[in-house]
This record gives sequence, C-alpha cells and structure tokens, in this order.
Amino acid sequence: MKKSSIIGIIVIAVAIAIIISTYSSSSTYGSFKDAQKTETPLQVVGHLVKTKELHYDAAKDANYFSFYMTDNKGEECKIIFTGTKPQDFERSEQIVLTGQMHGSEFHASKILMKCPSKYTQDKVEITETKAAKSANL
Amino acid sequence: MTTAFKGEHLLPGHLGQFFVILGFGSALFAAISYYFATTNKDQNDKSWLLMARGSYYVNTLSTVSIGACLFYIIYNHLFEYHYAWAHSSTKLPVYYIVSCFWEGQEGSFWLWTFWQAVLGNVLIWKAKNWERPVMTVIALSQTLLASMLIGVELFGTRVGSSPFILLREAIEGPIFSRPDYMTFIKDGNGLNPLLQNYWMVIHPPTLFLGFASMVVPFAYAIAGLWQRKYKEWIQPAISYSLFGVMVLGTGIIMGSFWAYESLNFGGFWAWDPVENASLLPWITLIAAIHVMVVFKNTGHSYFTALFLVLISFVLVLYASFLTRSGILGETSVHAFTDLGMKWHLIVDVLIFLGISIALIISRWKELPITKKDEETYSREFWMFVGAIFLSLACFHLILVTSIPLWNWMFGTKLAPPTEPVRHYNVIQASFAVIITLLMGFSQFLKYKKTDTTRFFITTLIYLIFAALVGALIVYVTGIYHLHFVFTLVMIGAVYAILANAKVLADALKGKVKLVGSAVAHIGFGLILVGALIAAGTSTVVSQNNSGIGYGDEFAKGANPKENIMLYKNQPIKMNNYILTYIGDSIVAPNHYFKVDYKKVDASGKVTEEFILKPNSQANNKMGLVSSPDTKHYLFHDLYTHVTMAPIKGDLDAENGGHSETDDDKNYDAPVTHQIAIGDTIRFREGYMVLKSLNKETHIQDIPLKGGDVAVGAAFDVVAHDKTYKAEPIFMIKAGNVFDFARKVDDAGLKLRFAKIIPETNKVEVMVYQQPESKKAYIVMRAINFPYINFFWSGTVIMVIGFLLSIFRRNKELIRAEAKPLPKNGKFQRA
Repeated sequence: MKKSSIIGIIVIAVAIAIIISTYSSSSTYGSFKDAQKTETPLQVVGHLVKTKELHYDAAKDANYFSFYMTDNKGEECKIIFTGTKPQDFERSEQIVLTGQMHGSEFHASKILMKCPSKYTQDKVEITETKAAKSANL
Repeated sequence: MTTAFKGEHLLPGHLGQFFVILGFGSALFAAISYYFATTNKDQNDKSWLLMARGSYYVNTLSTVSIGACLFYIIYNHLFEYHYAWAHSSTKLPVYYIVSCFWEGQEGSFWLWTFWQAVLGNVLIWKAKNWERPVMTVIALSQTLLASMLIGVELFGTRVGSSPFILLREAIEGPIFSRPDYMTFIKDGNGLNPLLQNYWMVIHPPTLFLGFASMVVPFAYAIAGLWQRKYKEWIQPAISYSLFGVMVLGTGIIMGSFWAYESLNFGGFWAWDPVENASLLPWITLIAAIHVMVVFKNTGHSYFTALFLVLISFVLVLYASFLTRSGILGETSVHAFTDLGMKWHLIVDVLIFLGISIALIISRWKELPITKKDEETYSREFWMFVGAIFLSLACFHLILVTSIPLWNWMFGTKLAPPTEPVRHYNVIQASFAVIITLLMGFSQFLKYKKTDTTRFFITTLIYLIFAALVGALIVYVTGIYHLHFVFTLVMIGAVYAILANAKVLADALKGKVKLVGSAVAHIGFGLILVGALIAAGTSTVVSQNNSGIGYGDEFAKGANPKENIMLYKNQPIKMNNYILTYIGDSIVAPNHYFKVDYKKVDASGKVTEEFILKPNSQANNKMGLVSSPDTKHYLFHDLYTHVTMAPIKGDLDAENGGHSETDDDKNYDAPVTHQIAIGDTIRFREGYMVLKSLNKETHIQDIPLKGGDVAVGAAFDVVAHDKTYKAEPIFMIKAGNVFDFARKVDDAGLKLRFAKIIPETNKVEVMVYQQPESKKAYIVMRAINFPYINFFWSGTVIMVIGFLLSIFRRNKELIRAEAKPLPKNGKFQRA
C-alpha cells in the first residue's frame, strides 16, 4: 500500500475519533428534573427568582452563595455556588448553570449570566463566573 | 419637519462618512482596475495599472482620514456620536483614548482595513511582476472590509456599521426630539474598565496586523493559480507567511498576557471561543509554512501546501464571523454582539472560499501534483505528517468552538463540554505529544535521504535523555498527579528542545541556514513546558476551610474553597504567609487594596515582606471590576485578586452625607464607661487609655463665649499593635449640651464624650464598636503560578526564530528573483 493512502486512512480515522469525542463530551442543556436523574454535571438554563433571598455573607463564609432559580420548565430549585456572589447578579436576565444535584439542592460550579448591559443600552453583555478550581489541566 | 439640533458638531462626522464611502469606492475601483491590468493581453499597456495604483492610494488616504476623523471625535468628547458616547468618557486618561478607538466593532474593522492598506502599499512597492494579480485579491479583500463600515441602507437592510452614526440615530428616545438634547448628554458611557490597561493599547493593533497579513500568502496562492505560475508563488508566500505567524503569534500571546495581568479568571489561557478563533488561522498557516518548505525542497505535497495557505485566510474570515456575528452568544464571555452583520460576514467568508474552490477545480489538471511516494526516512515526509497533525488539532478546535453554529444551522441543542478547559487541554495535549515528537526526531533526518542505522541510534539516545529530564521535571513539579498525557507532552517538549538545541549548535558551527527554525522550535517547546507547569501545577494559596454553619452536606462538596476574607488590620495565616489588609489608596477610578504579605519560616521568623495592591473599580455600569496584582519571581508568580469588597465608589457618591442617627446604625449598641484620667477601657480589638482632659478654646469654627465650656478627652487607642489618638469633645454652649464624636476607623471605633461628673472627678464615655460585618474587609484569592516565565520567554525566543527565518527566506527570495530556476520556466508567461 502506498504511504499516501496510509496517511489518508490515519487522517480519516483521527478525524472521526475527534468528532465522536467532541460529540460525547458535549453536554446538553437540561432541567432540574434531568439533573435529579443523573450523576454527571450538566448545564441548566433558567431565571433568577427575584422574590426569594439571595444569600451571601462574607463574614460567615466567603465561599458560599445561595439563591433560587427556575429552569425553563418552570421548576424552582435552591442553588448553592462555591464562591463569591457575582456582581450585578440581581439584574441577570438569564442564567446558565453548570453543576449537579445534591439532594434537593443544585450545586453549581459555574455561573454564566446574561445582563442587560448598562454599558451600552442597545447591547447585551455576558459575564461568566466560575467556582475556580485549581489545576485546570 | 427637520429639527435644528443645538450643540452638535456635524462636520467631522460628515467628513468621516465621506471618506468611508470614498474608501469603499476606491477599493472597489482598485480591485476592478487591477483585474483588468492582470487580464490585459498587452502587458506594456500600463493605463489600468496606473489607475489601479492611484485608486489604491486614494483608498489608503481615505482609510487614514477615517481614523483621523474618528480619533478627533473621541478625543474631543463629541458625544453626539454614538461611538464616542458608547466607548469613551471625559474622565478617561488620554492614553486610553487609543483603546476606546478599537473597543467597538467598527474601530477594530478600521484597524484591520488600515493594516491591509499598509500591506497593499508594501506589495505595490515590492511585488514587481506579482503586483497585478496579487493586488487584485488584496483590493477585493479591502473592498469587502470597507463595506463593513459603510452603514447605509440598501434595499431595506443596513449594510455595514458606520462609526460616524449619531447618538440620536442609533438610540431611540423621547429626549432626542428636543433640539437642545445635547445639554443633557454630559458624558459618555466610558471604556470597559477591563480594557483600561496598557496592553490593550498595543494588543489589538498587533493582533490585527497578524490577521491582515494573512491575506498576503492567500493572494499569492490565488495569483499563482490564476496566472498559472503554479510553483513560483510559494517562495514569496513563505516569507509573508512567516511574517504573518510571527505577528499573529505575538498578538495572541500579548492577549494572554493581558488576561493574566488584568483579568481575574486566574490564568493566561481559558480556551474561550474568541481565543480559539484567533488560534485557528495561526495553526493552519504554521502547517502551511512547513508543507511549502517541503514542496520547495522535493516537489511533493503541492496540494496540501496550496490547501493550507488558502484555508488559513478563509479561517481568518471565519474567525471574524464567529466573534462578530453574535452567534457565540451564550458560550463566550467576550464575543462582540450582533450588529446585524451576520449575513454580511457569512457572504465575506463564502466569497473567498468560493474563489479558492473555483480556481482549484478549474486548474486541477494542471497542478504539479506528484504521484511518486515520499522517502520514509526523509525530513520532508515527517514535516508533512507533522503539518497533517497540526491541521487535525485545528479541526478539533473548529469543531468544538463552532458548536453554537452547528446548533444554529441544524437546529440542535448541543451545549459545549461542561468542563471545556479540561476537554481542550486533554485533546490538544494528545496532539501536542505527536507534534513535539515529530519536531524532535525529524531534526535528525536529512532532507531527502538519511542513513537509517545512525538515525535510529541518535534518535533513541536523545529520546532516552529527554525522557529522563522530562520525568525529573514531571516529578519535581508534580505534573504526574494530572492526566498521564501531560507527562507525555512534557517529555515530548523536552525532546523537541534538546533535538533543536543540537541543530542550533551545529548551525552555529556552519549550517547557518537552519538557525531560524531551530530557535523557533526551541521557543515553542519552552512555551509548552511553561504552560504545562504553570497551568497544571498552579496552586491556590488562599485555600480556606473556615466557613461555618452551612451544614455538612455543603462542606463535603467537591469544590475547593478558594476565597479568604481579610478584615482590615487583622492578620490571617495563609499557607506560609501572614496576610494583612492594611489599607487603601484611591486613585480614581481605581481603588487599591494594600495587602501586606509576610513570609514566615518554620520557626516563625519573617523572611520576606512585600505589599501587593490588587485593585477594584466600583464601576456604575458594570459593578465591581477587579484586577489582580502579581508578585513576580524568577521561577514563580504569586497572583492576588479581590473577588469581593464592600466599596461603593462612584455608585453612591451622589447620595451625599448621612445624618448622625444613620451613622449609629453602623455600630453595635454603645457601652457606657465612667472613667478617670489614667483608666483603661478594653474593647474587642484592643484597649484605650484616657490620657488627659483638655480645655479647648476652639472647636472648628464655633466661637466660644464667656459661659461656654469645651473639654476634650484625649485617648490613646491601641489596636493591632498600633496606637491611634482620639479626642472626643464635650461642650456646653449657651446652656445647651453638645458633643463631638471621634472615630478610629482602623479599629472600628467611635467614641462619644457624654458627660462630666464633677462629684467623682470622672467622665462618661460611650464606646461604639462596629460589628464584624460592618468593618472594612476584602475577600480575595491568591494563586501561585510556578515557572510561568518559561511561557513568556518561550514566546520571545519563538519570535526571534521567526525573524531569523524571515531573513533567510528573504535572501533566498532575492536570489530566486535574480535568476529564476529553469524548471519553473515553462509555467512563466510574461
């Protein structure tokens, strides 16, 4: 067999492997109900419940922030985030959480929120907050 | 119907808009003229060429003028223009006005246009007989870029977005129907505080020069196909490609340095879609350079070289589509938002992709593609394999970064990986293993044919040595705790460095030609080593498990707690440091928190002391925006940033002062003490001693008359090993009793002198203490980045390597132009 055909086959094989690995590691946006059923972390899109308490007290624990969110199916859940309260959290229009359920609480490792931007009223800006983990690699 | 608006300065805008249109028109005319200059049978007829050049000069002039008008508008704070209003403010220091300039989409498009105009002029000057076809492509690209700025209505849709649009045209509001609306617009929105950094002054121009220079090799490739000069385009394309990757690489790393210095995600690379997008064309063009060299030396791999050069520029356009169309939406922190240019950008990508495909198909049969197999033991074969793996790595990046695009195209609802950083790191590292190994052993192969036994022996010796060194580094730094693939990358990177160091040593002895590539490869190896250690073994120094009272379930959570809280003047032990938040300094609009670090050894002795000043800006548009401060050592960095602080800054400045009763709310209920001179009062954080009672004659600006009395109680307040003076005052004026409280903010105290009791010779003092939660505090995070200097120094070395390669290839180019090789002769027309 010619070398160019061998290389061709390897390239195709690696390309397929990449597609499969990307597809399998891409997650889906789910609801809190989906999160109940699975152990793996997933992403939930929803809205902040503005009538309920946002709790952050640096004096008590600088790494504990809790709030309530409804997912896109309308289900409400208490969220706990290991970290400081993201700025302007009250104004968020939409939140994307990454994390998993622990009992009846959702423990988020990452919060991505969409705010109506005060910077330019005609634009929307996005900010991201992570419960930072050491050793990212 | 038209209202005469007062206070507007319309001239710079009209002038700017005129140059926008002129720039577009002249670019289009230049493209058409160059096309006819190229296709003209009579090459001695220079009329088309002269017209083309003329209009390209006009385009250059217009581009510069657009910049001048826009700069004038921003510099003079003409907020009637949306761009100035949206991106600048009067409070901004002059040197950041430059950053405002390219904060918006229009400004960054202008920057790109400007560099392309400059490059076009360089080509008119240098390209000689390539000028006509190459400049046709450049002028076409210039036309499309210029069209992004025109911002006029065409068939009901707005084409492009002009930076000269007025505020009242951009935003609707009842205020804009008033002729005197300008009197209400006092200030602009200001520049995003994160961009108020000196790196933001030079990072965008470098990055865009990199993007802009990608068009040159593309134009040469297209010109080569078009003019049937299938081989000759490669030599100049190599030089320009080297320039492109050098500048773009520098720009990308500058961005990463900016992120490290002023963003607070705690690192230098986050695989954000915007970062990935700029990396895509860089990777493919690096691969393209290698394959072009292969083709130049052996005549093999022609199609791959052509394909990679063409796709690199298409990927530049694709990257600008991804980041500017708003399609990344939820997945990126800093993508531009949609300006309604999505289809415009798509068309741009498709035009150049279409031209490439059409030309390849029409010339397919004539392309110099060899059927012969490459020698297995030649350097070229493995360079080719390396380029293929680079392209595959790029393919993976494209695939994942474009997930939002797949969703948009196919209506799917895929989300990016939940742990994107880990996903990218592991897969890209796997490619890095193969690529670094190829970078290493291909150095021992000769161009064309090698003696196999000798090759295997040297390769093996170096590999074993690299494995030993790599293993040692992995063991010492603790990389072995991570995924095993990172250990392999480390070994591969060390191997690549060693092998290229050998080449460099040989080269310095005589084979000077290879210096450039060896140096660039060593630099790239060092970048990998530095990135691996710094990102892989960075440790959070501010680990904190002192949180209380949220239940065991929470404490058991996998998330490490990385933020610690510091009350002012209360030292806290963090790892082997003692930290104290000792004070603030405010240089508007930044609020600097002084954090004192004392390093203590086992016996408790202070071995080192320094102060870091992370800062925050309480921005009334974005809330608290923090920038870190970093203590740089030769072998590691200590990075500190504030995640939370109770500062209000300009948020509350307008609310004015508070009344006395309001102020008391900031303190716990007071404790009353009756004391005599010399007595001590204890409070939570220290004690105070009443030193003396002084009869005052003057209290601020209150005049004292005959029967009036004023007495001050002088206290020495001792808290946290520091002594403060405080003298609350008691006063009887015209029969009424007053008292003037004194505060000791650092100790969280307020003292009131309430009464004099002559019978016992005592005085009554009320002590107010601030509750913990009202005291000044910061919440911060500290990270240790080991060996990050390898990463930065690797970049510098790599750039030097590129420079050396450019010099070498330019010499070859001049030689080749002096006497064209006979085998190429048959393809030449003119």
